[in-house]
Amino acid sequence: MMWLPLYILFYAAVTLYWARMAARANGNYQTYFSASHSLPPWVSALVLSGASISGWIMLVGAEEIGRNGFGLAAILQAGIALSLPGVFFFKRLWLLGQRLQLSSLSELLRAYWSSEFLVAFSTVVATLFAVAFAGVQMAALSRLVVLLTDQTVSMPAAAMVLCFILFGYVVIGGMRAVGYLGAVQTVLAGAAIVGFAGCAVLQLGGFGALNAGLLKLAADPAAAGKFIVSGVVQFTAGGGRQAAAAHEGTALASLAMVFALMGLQSSPMAIKVVLSTNSPRAIAAGQTWVMAGAFGAMIALCVACFGAASLIDPSKDLSGLLTLISPWFAAWLFIGLLAGVQLMAGLALLTAGESLIRNVYKPWFHSSLSRRDTVTVTRVAIGLLVLASGLMQVLTPVTLSMLASLALPLAFQLWTPLLGMTWLRWFTRPGVVTGVGFGIAGVLLTEPFGIAVLSALGLELPWGRAPWTMSSAAWGMVANLLVTMLVSAFTQRRAFGGEAAQEARSFLYGILRPASRVRALRSTAWSISLAWLFFAVGPGLILGNYAFNKPDGGWALGMPSLWGWGLVSWVTGLGIVWFLSYKMEMASPHVGAIPDYQPPPRLRPDQRAAERERLRALFVTVAVAFGIVVLIVLSFGH
Amino acid sequence: MKSPVPIVERSILIFAVWAVLGFLGLGIFLEGLKQDSWLLSAAGVAVIVLAFVAHIIVNGVFDTGFTPGETALGIGAYGVLGLVFVAGAVGGSLTMTNYYSGLTLFGVLAAGFLAYLLTRHGLRGAFSRFHIKPMTEREPSK
Repeated sequence: MMWLPLYILFYAAVTLYWARMAARANGNYQTYFSASHSLPPWVSALVLSGASISGWIMLVGAEEIGRNGFGLAAILQAGIALSLPGVFFFKRLWLLGQRLQLSSLSELLRAYWSSEFLVAFSTVVATLFAVAFAGVQMAALSRLVVLLTDQTVSMPAAAMVLCFILFGYVVIGGMRAVGYLGAVQTVLAGAAIVGFAGCAVLQLGGFGALNAGLLKLAADPAAAGKFIVSGVVQFTAGGGRQAAAAHEGTALASLAMVFALMGLQSSPMAIKVVLSTNSPRAIAAGQTWVMAGAFGAMIALCVACFGAASLIDPSKDLSGLLTLISPWFAAWLFIGLLAGVQLMAGLALLTAGESLIRNVYKPWFHSSLSRRDTVTVTRVAIGLLVLASGLMQVLTPVTLSMLASLALPLAFQLWTPLLGMTWLRWFTRPGVVTGVGFGIAGVLLTEPFGIAVLSALGLELPWGRAPWTMSSAAWGMVANLLVTMLVSAFTQRRAFGGEAAQEARSFLYGILRPASRVRALRSTAWSISLAWLFFAVGPGLILGNYAFNKPDGGWALGMPSLWGWGLVSWVTGLGIVWFLSYKMEMASPHVGAIPDYQPPPRLRPDQRAAERERLRALFVTVAVAFGIVVLIVLSFGH
Repeated sequence: MKSPVPIVERSILIFAVWAVLGFLGLGIFLEGLKQDSWLLSAAGVAVIVLAFVAHIIVNGVFDTGFTPGETALGIGAYGVLGLVFVAGAVGGSLTMTNYYSGLTLFGVLAAGFLAYLLTRHGLRGAFSRFHIKPMTEREPSK
C-alpha cells in the first residue's frame, strides 16, 4: 500500500520539476506552444515513439492477445505500422513548417488547402485524442490504482489525482515540458513493457514453459482457433449483427488495424512534435531504430509474451500480474504505464487546446487576442478538457469508449490532405475536402458511435460495427481515397490553393528533387513495400497459420507459427523502414538552411463586426440544431 | 558558461537512467530482502552501481561532474538509508542475510564513491574536495 503512493508522489515531483524548468525557459508564455521550435531531434524521436505507443499497447494490444490469441496478427507489426507515416510525412512536413513558419497541423492545413473545414476537422481529431483516447487509458489506470490499493482509494479519487498531475505540468510548462518530460516518460514506458513481459514469463516458469503452455492450449480443439488467422475476409454484417465464424481476426481485419494505427503519426499531436523540433536530423533514426526497431521488438517479443502468458492463465493479465508481484515492482511498472499514457495525454491536450483557441477561436471570433491572453485562454481550455475527460471517465465510460474508438480512424482520414501536401501534388483542394468528408462518413457509419447516434434518431443501419471484419479506418479510407482521386481528376484546372500553397509546392519540388540513384530504386521500393504489406499484414497472413508447424503437430521455431511469422515480418519490416528512410531518402537528414517565406504585406481590415456576427450565428446554429435533434429523437428515436 | 540545451539534455538522460536502473535496482534489492536471498540483493546492488556508471558516462559525454543538487540528494539518501539500516540492526529485526545485504549495499556504494573521487580528482584532489581551507590560510595567488 505504501509503495504506490510513494512512487506516484515521486512521479508528480518529477513532472513539476520539469514543468518549472520549462516555464522558466518559456518566459511563462512566450514559447508556450512550440518551445520556440527548439526541441532536440533525439528528444522528439523519443517523444514521437512514446506517444505512439502510450499505454494502449499494454492495455489493449496485450489484452487482445490474452483474450483472443494471435488471430489479429497485425498487433505484432504495430512498431512498423506506427513508424511508416513518419517515414512518409515527417521530413516534408518539417520542411514546409520551417519554410512557412507554421507550428501546427491546423496552421499547415489552413495555409496549404485554405480550408476551414479541414482546420475544424483536425481540431475535432485533436480533441478526441485529448478527451476520449487518453481518457479511456487514464480510466484504466485509475481502476488499477483502486485494485493496487485494495479499494482504499476510490476510482473517482484516483482519476482526479492522475488528471491533476497531468493538468499541472501541461498548463505550467507547455510544449517544452511535454517534450522534455516525454523523453523520460518514453524510457519509463519502454522499461515497463519489458518489465511486464519479464514478470509474466518468470511467473510461468520461463520462455520454454510459456511455449509449452501455448502448445498444450493449441492442442485443445476449443482453443486451436486462437493460433490462426480466420481467413482472408469474412463477409459478415459486422459486430452486433452477425458473428464471424471462429473469430473476427481475419487477414483484412489485420490490414484495417494497421491502417488505424497509421492514424497515430498522422494525427495533429504527432505533427505538433515534428514542427516543434529544431532539425529533421533524427527523423530517420527515430522512425527506424527507436520506433520500428526498439519499440517494434518490444511489441513483437515482450507484448506478445505478456499476452501469451495471460492466454495460458487468464489470472496473469495486467491487473492480475500487478497483484501477484511484490508491491515495489507493481508500483514501478504502474508508473511506467502511467508515464506512457500521460505522455500521449499531455501532448494531445496541448495540441487540442492550441487548436481550439489559437486555430479556431482566435481567427474566427477574437482576432485581437494578445499572445499572453491566447496562452491564458488555452490554459483554461486545457483545464476544461481535462475536467471533461475526468468526468466522462467516472460518469460515462461507455460513451467515452465509443468516442475513443473514433480517434484513430478519423486521424487516418488526414492521410489524403497530408499526401496532397507532401507527395501527390495533383490532389486538388475540392478533391481533398470532399474526400475527407466522405472518409468521415465512412468511419461514422461503421463505428458504434455513429450507429448508436443514427439508432437514437430512429435510423437502423443494416450493418453493425466493422462489417466484413474490416474496421472503420479502412472503410473510411476507401471512400476518402476514391472520392479524392475522382474529384481531383475532374478539378485539375482549378487553383490548388492560396499563395502559401503555391509557394510550398514549388519549394518542396525544388528542394527535394530525387537523385538518379533514388529514382532507380523506386520500383524496388514499391515492390518490397507492397510484398511486405501483403505477407505481413495482408491476405498473405494466412500462410503464417501453418508456415512454421512441424508435420507431427509441433512448432518448428518452438513458438506458435503465427508468432514466428510475426517475428520474421517484423525483421523484414524493419529492413523496409530502413530502406525507405535512408536509401529512398524519405526521412533522411536534410542539410542546408531553410529560408523563411515572406508573404507579400497586406492590410488587415477590422474584423470585430464580422467576428461578432459569426459568434451570433454560431449560437443560433447550435440552438436550432439542438432543437431539431431533440425533436427527431422524440419523434423517431428509442 | 554552458548553453541551457545541453544541460537540459543531460538532465533528461540522468532522470531516465535513475528512473529505470535506479528503481529496478532498488526493487531487486528489496526483493532479495523479502526472499532472504543475498544473491538477489547483490544483483540489485549491481544494478544500482550500473546506474551510477551510466550517470558518470553521461557526465563524461557532457564534460561535467555531479551537480551540487545531485551530490546532496545522493549523500542525503545514503544517510537516511544508512540510518534505517542501523535502526533495523539495533532493533534486531534483521536476518543475517538482510544484514549482509545491507552491508554489501553501503560498502559497495562507499567504495564506489571513493573510487570515483580518486580516479576523477586524484588522491590529493579527492582530499581537497572535502578539506576546504579558510580564506586566511590560503596561499596568495601568484
